[in-house]
Amino acid sequence: MKPDISRVLEVLAGTLMVDVAPNVTPSYRQASVFANALLLTNIREELDRIAERRVEENRALRALFAQAAPDIADAPLRARLAEAAESQEPSLRISALDASNAGLRQLAIELHAYVEAQDVPAARRIEASLWRELAASTERRKLGLGAF
Amino acid sequence: MLRVSDLSARFADYARQRMPGARDVRVEDLERIFGGASRETYRLRLCYRDGDAERERRLILRRDPVGSLIETDRRIEFLAYRAFHGSVVPVPEALWLEEDGRWLDQPFFVMEELAGLESRPQMLMAPPYAEHCEKLGVQKWTILGEIAKADPAALGLTDAMPVVAPDDAWKRELDHWEGVLDADEVCPQPIIRAVIRWLRRNPPPPAQRISVVHADYRTGNFLFDAEGRIHAILDWEMAHLGDPLEDLAWSINRIWCWLRDERRGGLLPKERAVSLWEEASGLRADPRALHWWELFSCVKGQGIWVSSAREYESGKNQDAVLALAAWMQMNSQDRAALELMGHLS
Repeated sequence: MKPDISRVLEVLAGTLMVDVAPNVTPSYRQASVFANALLLTNIREELDRIAERRVEENRALRALFAQAAPDIADAPLRARLAEAAESQEPSLRISALDASNAGLRQLAIELHAYVEAQDVPAARRIEASLWRELAASTERRKLGLGAF
Repeated sequence: MLRVSDLSARFADYARQRMPGARDVRVEDLERIFGGASRETYRLRLCYRDGDAERERRLILRRDPVGSLIETDRRIEFLAYRAFHGSVVPVPEALWLEEDGRWLDQPFFVMEELAGLESRPQMLMAPPYAEHCEKLGVQKWTILGEIAKADPAALGLTDAMPVVAPDDAWKRELDHWEGVLDADEVCPQPIIRAVIRWLRRNPPPPAQRISVVHADYRTGNFLFDAEGRIHAILDWEMAHLGDPLEDLAWSINRIWCWLRDERRGGLLPKERAVSLWEEASGLRADPRALHWWELFSCVKGQGIWVSSAREYESGKNQDAVLALAAWMQMNSQDRAALELMGHLS
């Protein structure tokens, strides 16, 4: 689409903040227009990376599961990890990527809880890998407007 | 949602019934205030005749919305205002509590408006407020210490707020907020779930005492003036009895570093805030216990942000502030938790 969606969102947000909001009354409506313009600014920031971030995160989780699976003694969990590691994105639609991401992150929660309860070196390695990936995921998801 | 003109007329009807001696009761300049995501908040002028004299009161009306950031009890909020009014903890005067929905469709309460003051954290970034950050910080954590020191029974709040044992305060709060996450989680939360498991494996020591916990004590929830004086602590809707460290930990949560530096609440470094609180409260912020409550604050924060996302998605309340809060804070909250767990790269 031309003009670029990102550019259109930038113009829309700017118009709402600079041209529209100051002329809106009462103050509640004015603040609401401004807040909605901020939402558009967030959408613009997210738009360009929206698919990449999800693909990258899903790929990282699958790789982590592939590495972890052989060290998991619990057979059903090991099988689910192996299956998830082999899975692929059914489509690049955001809804599909989000669904995959939710499934993978839920499995990461189960893996994390499992290894926390295991007193073997492999469990500590997997736990460390999980924390590294979780920290990386917050870097990918960072928004300019976030407080921290 | 009620139209402003209807709300004005119906509130005037209500005020007439509350003030049988007043004549010519009318509501002027009623307008909604932006940002009160847990209640619809309005300011208004209540005008009436008292004998031959014309009177006017500037009031705040807090009305329950259909959906909100947090499920709260308006009676407890009202009673908390009442309890602290006139004490060293500054609050506006709470006037009327109405739980019957026939007046304004939803329950509400009314308190005095303290006009001409500021509450927005972003105002601290520029004159005339920026030069008063330290002064505001000293008052902020001293007042919080006073809240911790106050006797809930003497304030009359032990009848309204469920009492909790010192060694059970942590568990009750953690159970509650884990329950909120279970109910409202819009997507899996691996960081916060790991934090919850850690918190359960490493419980804190019993509370030194059971205090009134404001439960949303942060920059943004108090009124200040251009000379750097705090005039009122607001938003007591989550107030309860519990471990006073809960409030201290919430007040220094990383997500309230509005100025994007080390100053908590945009006002003071963490160590100074804790020291001021200890001095005012007469209590000790044991580092291990405070660490536990700081991590708990991340669970509670994430509970609030996922609930706001759930409310917005459900269509029950599509105030932009709900979506903004979720977008801007969920990842920051995860990062705050990672930092406390020693895993932030």
